[in-house]
Amino acid sequence: MTKQPLSRRDVLKLGGVAAGSAATLAAMKNFMSARAGSQIQTAVEENVVASTCHLCSAGCGILVRVADGKVVKLEGNPMHPVNQGSLCPKGQAAPELLYNPDRITSPMKRDRTTGQWTPIQWAEAIQLTADKLSALREAGHPEQAVLMHGDTRGQMRSFLTRFMQAVGSPNVVSHESLNIAAAKLGMYLTQGIYNLPAYDLENANYILSFGANLLEAGANPQRTIAGWTFGRRGRANRNKIVVIDPRQGIHGAKADEWIPIKPGTDAALALGMANVIIKSGLVDADFVKNYCFGFDNFASGGERKGFRDFVLENYDPIRVEQITGVPSTMIARLAGEFAGNGPSVAIMPGKGGLLNGGFGGVYTAMAVHMLNALVGSIEKEGGVMTQRYMPCANYPKLPSDSTAAKGLKTERIDGAGSKFPLGRNSYQSVADAILEGAPVEALFLYDANPAFETPGNKRVAEAFAKVPFVVSFSSFMDESAELADLILPEPTFLERWGDDHVEGLGYPGISLYQPVIEPLYDTLNTGDFFIKVAEAMGGSVAKAFPWKSYEEVLQFRLKDIGADWELLKELGVWFNPGYRFAKRGSPQWIESVVGAERLNAPRDGYFDLYSRELNCFVGKMKKDELAALGITMMGDGANLPHYEATVFAGDEAQYPFMLNVVTLMSLGPRSDAANMPTLQEISGMTVRETWDSWLEINPQSAEALGLVENDRVNIESPFGRISTQVKLVAGLRPDVVNMPFNQGHTAVGRYAKGRGVNGLEIINPASEPLTGLASFTNTRVKVSKS
Amino acid sequence: MQPILTAQDRENLVSPLFKFDRQFWMTIAVLSVITLPGLALYVRQLFLGLGVTDLNRPVFWGAYLVNFIFLIGISMAGTVISAVLHLLHIEWRRPITRIAESLTVFGLMTAGLQIIMDMGRPDRLINTILYGRLQAPLMWDIASLTLYLLTASFALYLQLIPDIAFMRDSTPENAPTWRKKLYSTLSLGWRGNKEQWTRLEKAITTVSVILIPIGVSLHTVTSWLFSTTVQPGWKSTILGPYFVVGAIYSGIGLLFIAVTFATQYNHHLKSYITDTFYKNLGWIFIVMSFVWFYFTLNETLVVTTEQETLEFPVMAAKLFGEFAPAFWGMNVLMVATTWILIALKVPNKASSNPLFKTTTGLVMTVLAVVTFIALALNIPTLHGAFVELGLLIAFIVFFVLALLGLTGWFQAHLIPSTVIASAFVLFGMWLERWNILMPTLTHARIIPYTTYFPTVTEVALTISTFGILTLIFVVFYKFFPSISIWEVEAGRALEIKNGG
Amino acid sequence: MANWCMVIDLEKCVACQACSVACRMENNTPVVSPEEAKNGRAIRWNDVFPLPVHIAPEQGEYPNVKTHYATRPCMHCENAPCVKTCPVQATYIDEEGIVRQNYDRCIGCRFCTVSCPYGVRYFNWYAPQWEGTLENHLNPDELSVNGSLEGPAVRPVGVVEKCTYCVHRLVKARERAAAEGREFRADEYVPACVQTCTGKARYFGDLDDPDSTVSQLSKSLRATHLLEDSGAHPKTLYLAEG
Repeated sequence: MTKQPLSRRDVLKLGGVAAGSAATLAAMKNFMSARAGSQIQTAVEENVVASTCHLCSAGCGILVRVADGKVVKLEGNPMHPVNQGSLCPKGQAAPELLYNPDRITSPMKRDRTTGQWTPIQWAEAIQLTADKLSALREAGHPEQAVLMHGDTRGQMRSFLTRFMQAVGSPNVVSHESLNIAAAKLGMYLTQGIYNLPAYDLENANYILSFGANLLEAGANPQRTIAGWTFGRRGRANRNKIVVIDPRQGIHGAKADEWIPIKPGTDAALALGMANVIIKSGLVDADFVKNYCFGFDNFASGGERKGFRDFVLENYDPIRVEQITGVPSTMIARLAGEFAGNGPSVAIMPGKGGLLNGGFGGVYTAMAVHMLNALVGSIEKEGGVMTQRYMPCANYPKLPSDSTAAKGLKTERIDGAGSKFPLGRNSYQSVADAILEGAPVEALFLYDANPAFETPGNKRVAEAFAKVPFVVSFSSFMDESAELADLILPEPTFLERWGDDHVEGLGYPGISLYQPVIEPLYDTLNTGDFFIKVAEAMGGSVAKAFPWKSYEEVLQFRLKDIGADWELLKELGVWFNPGYRFAKRGSPQWIESVVGAERLNAPRDGYFDLYSRELNCFVGKMKKDELAALGITMMGDGANLPHYEATVFAGDEAQYPFMLNVVTLMSLGPRSDAANMPTLQEISGMTVRETWDSWLEINPQSAEALGLVENDRVNIESPFGRISTQVKLVAGLRPDVVNMPFNQGHTAVGRYAKGRGVNGLEIINPASEPLTGLASFTNTRVKVSKS
Repeated sequence: MQPILTAQDRENLVSPLFKFDRQFWMTIAVLSVITLPGLALYVRQLFLGLGVTDLNRPVFWGAYLVNFIFLIGISMAGTVISAVLHLLHIEWRRPITRIAESLTVFGLMTAGLQIIMDMGRPDRLINTILYGRLQAPLMWDIASLTLYLLTASFALYLQLIPDIAFMRDSTPENAPTWRKKLYSTLSLGWRGNKEQWTRLEKAITTVSVILIPIGVSLHTVTSWLFSTTVQPGWKSTILGPYFVVGAIYSGIGLLFIAVTFATQYNHHLKSYITDTFYKNLGWIFIVMSFVWFYFTLNETLVVTTEQETLEFPVMAAKLFGEFAPAFWGMNVLMVATTWILIALKVPNKASSNPLFKTTTGLVMTVLAVVTFIALALNIPTLHGAFVELGLLIAFIVFFVLALLGLTGWFQAHLIPSTVIASAFVLFGMWLERWNILMPTLTHARIIPYTTYFPTVTEVALTISTFGILTLIFVVFYKFFPSISIWEVEAGRALEIKNGG
Repeated sequence: MANWCMVIDLEKCVACQACSVACRMENNTPVVSPEEAKNGRAIRWNDVFPLPVHIAPEQGEYPNVKTHYATRPCMHCENAPCVKTCPVQATYIDEEGIVRQNYDRCIGCRFCTVSCPYGVRYFNWYAPQWEGTLENHLNPDELSVNGSLEGPAVRPVGVVEKCTYCVHRLVKARERAAAEGREFRADEYVPACVQTCTGKARYFGDLDDPDSTVSQLSKSLRATHLLEDSGAHPKTLYLAEG
């Protein structure tokens, strides 16, 4: 064989060497190829179901990945306008709710003497309930049946109300007095709409947040987060956000400016700003002159004081500085920025600053909302919008029924409309009424855990013990369910039919819950349960419910929204996008924007800077009557928003700190979320804590008390004493301490139980006398090392 | 050649190896009791996972790794004594070569155990061979450790061959047959002729030459395990030589203790291992202690003054933070050691000064310990700068007085003093490894600072490790003579040659 | 070949931790017991935490304080210290710039966890467990490369695990494109944390494509890296606040 310069074998060898070197080189560069050998195995059968999340009041759209019949992942529904594909930690952790090992798996009955729970059949539960309600009707006291519900929206709320009306009880009590009712009242007494305003955050150039925890809690956190971040970096010019809150929290940290105001003085600040805005001539003259009532002095000779003079006389920035602790120069600057950089919007607190036990909280909401009116941000791009709703088919008229009619005429158990003339719901007062001897024969708890979530929650247990028939529809054995006679577990939101209004964007929409998988346990949708109870009761009650199932109720109610049932099921949401701003003074303005829901004052489309609605309640009151309500201003002053010093429970010398119980993004407002282990794990991120409660305190205050990080402390208020660990938080006023909400459960399940303490135990249990709002922020405490 | 080894030697060195007396079984029993709980807990760890330790994120390494470096360190003794002194023809090394070399082998064996103990998946150890990535420092360490263990075992065996042959020839009649077989097999037909001797000498010299760089490499590479991770506190060029010095230092300490243990166990050995050995090796010990101080000063001073934002928190934790008791404890032990060693080299002059009374020294020692504990515990009631400063000054005074007071006792008791100094060095060097490892791990960059304290499992396994080390030592020397008989023989021959 | 990269706008991040939870649900990281979590053994591949991480007196006094928050997935470093120190090539950078982990090969020596300056690597101290019915929600996806497990199927005790930019989603997206007979597009693949981000603060895409969002954002004056001086050449980009 002749020798060739380079044989085939040599070439191969060289190639081999080259490849080898390449491989070595690749290894030296820490680089490997994985793409070729990648193989993925997954479930045999997969589908994605659109539905709605129910872990807070936002009601985000979800796309649920169901693999081999199991829910394995939730994603945000990109079509849903509230979350636009995003999903917060609660929603992401929802499979832990569905597959929670502590769920109640069947209806159960409790023997009150032994405290033992025994599983029963649904038929028995239905019969027991029907018998109880029929007995009440026969006795002529259907109003002695009470239903307390939590954040129940969509058709369920009207459905439950209809059921109770058919039975003959006016006592459907929402938990809104614990949170959003104060803001709703602020809106109602000024703009004449009993609802939360929607804010056009995306288009606002200047956002002034008065303790509205836009990034963690509130009525619609996902919506406010989306609006906030869009204004920061989603558009060409960045907006400015100022947060006014004793606690910095996440929203204060993410804002351009954080103003740690003295708690309970927000009204003074808002009015001080109004003073500067008016003095500088920065008001929207067209709006205040033509579409507002009471800017100038009024009545024939100007003998009734208007907003302008009242504010100019009383809220000079120098005086406001003394009240709020915010420098007068800063007040002037904020006012100038707010009025000069429109569109701007001032946002009312959700609950924090408003529920201070006095009517001052409602004045605060009014004062803050009026800033929007002064700069003409009502019904304007970048300002305030009014929430519109999808047209739902009217329920058929209730059959005439004398028993029910009589029952419906009685005073509400919670005192709304009677004891609390301005209030519409007073959730916490139900317990007080029962303890005072009000006859309650049957109590239904839907989506509600008053024994945990009410300030001074200990008394709730005592009250419920007096009620002979308590029914809870909870999926978990929570603090209230433990006190019930019947527990009739509802499937979780991933296993049942339901709906929710799309809120927060102004325009109307409907978001659908549907069973993404078959219910895991022997549970029943509460809607279906009540239909069956009505059927068992027969007569007029049965006639009021001609539907076979709650799904049919939904189909009936939603038949006019513009999407058929199949399409709604496929998309999970249907809405009419694009908020249409009503022209000032137009018929639509009068119909739906300003004044439309006033019950007493004229529905004339005027925005009240001088509240005529309030005048109908307090206008004729004498000084001592007003004083009994905690209102120090007389005459016109009582109808104008003003600052009322908060009356604290606890003497300042003895109890130097104000206690705030704050809702977290992680655990949220619902008790069952506290039993989701992942949420427990991430709950204390801001203070480097996990699976526990804590007390946030300013480092200076801690030092004065000789406290260091993680010390155990006793927190004592006039209402009790609890003990937890201390966390030093620099972004917090030295005279305020905070605790997280939704820790310290004594029930619910293995993950929630015994995790720290519940701050609400030592919060003032009182109700505001005019409105029946709960007190959340007027409790003083002392802190000592334990 | 006239017989250099006498019948007395035979009696002293060989017969104890065939006496399985009560003392031996008691020792085995005690060591087993010490070792077994750890083994049981290891089995538990194997089933449950490393969660049974106090390791966490970011403290991913803990007591096992500290033990690993410590054991690697003490294994250095054999290399220095046997190889370096052999090459330098230093004669007093002869009686203790055996113990020194065996400590290397045993130390490495137990060090290897630490790696296994620390692994999350010991069942996948084979992956280091199947998929080993040569650029990874851990692979260098595994390679170096394996090579060192093999070479050191080979060296030990080479040194043993003439003695095994001696044992083969001296086995008592009533000894079990398997032991006879063992010796005859292991002696590889050693006859002690000139050619065999020449080859053995050559082999031992060669292995000694090889052993030194491998030993140095192992300690250096072990330091690189840390310095290549770019974590603050470890990014030091000095770490390699620092580890080598620390290794020699602690190795000598262990050697002193092992030799004393052996001579206490078998009193006859005292006639072979004399004070000369303690005195001579003491000099090397002093040198190492100074070199160690030199490195420690370098590392501490430079890091303290370099204004590196990441490095300083780690150093601060040692100087005044939660690692201060360990750091200053280590330094105090080392100062005490150096003082004892120097005192032994200074002629003893009786003094009537009460300062130099043993009783004064003992009282002061107690006071010094108490003040140190008070400082270390940072007792809250003692808070306040003045109280702490006062305590600090008091401690220094007590400490100095204690050393002065005990000096006379030290000088009068060579062997106990050396053993005390060695124990101090061993404990101090364990703390040094702790101080290198833990402050960096507990002071991660973007994970909150944390703490670490070994759990029962980790403590028990540490105790087991030292139990196993001692057990191997005791059992090994029940089968093989603990001093190199032929080296003693050769030494005597040399003496005779030189002397006469 | 793509060079996958994540960009996190800290101005838009509101520290809600949805990313952390989305990651858990997608990648089957276990919930550890409360005691374990308190002992620093929680496993969240993506973590959110306040800055400065170490409480220091110089962080300011009331009211001149501002807390910052960081959210931290894996940096997928181009000069990854974890890859350099892994003795068995269990962690490696693939051809698309993702630092990956082979769970079948890892020996649990924790060298990578110690060398990672970002602490993004987690160790399974105990065998992961889900109480009772909770295990029903586990993601059934199982990615294997040449027969070795790479998640998100549950990892065994004693191995290290980490953020993979949800690489199994990439593989699935490619397979889907192939099954539908079309070209795979870069925007078909996002990790779970990016998809769920409540503030839309996260962006994901191909850094080598000059037209991609991430590539555009990487030129921003606000673009920076976490611990830029770590020498690891971290790839995940941050846009600074302000």
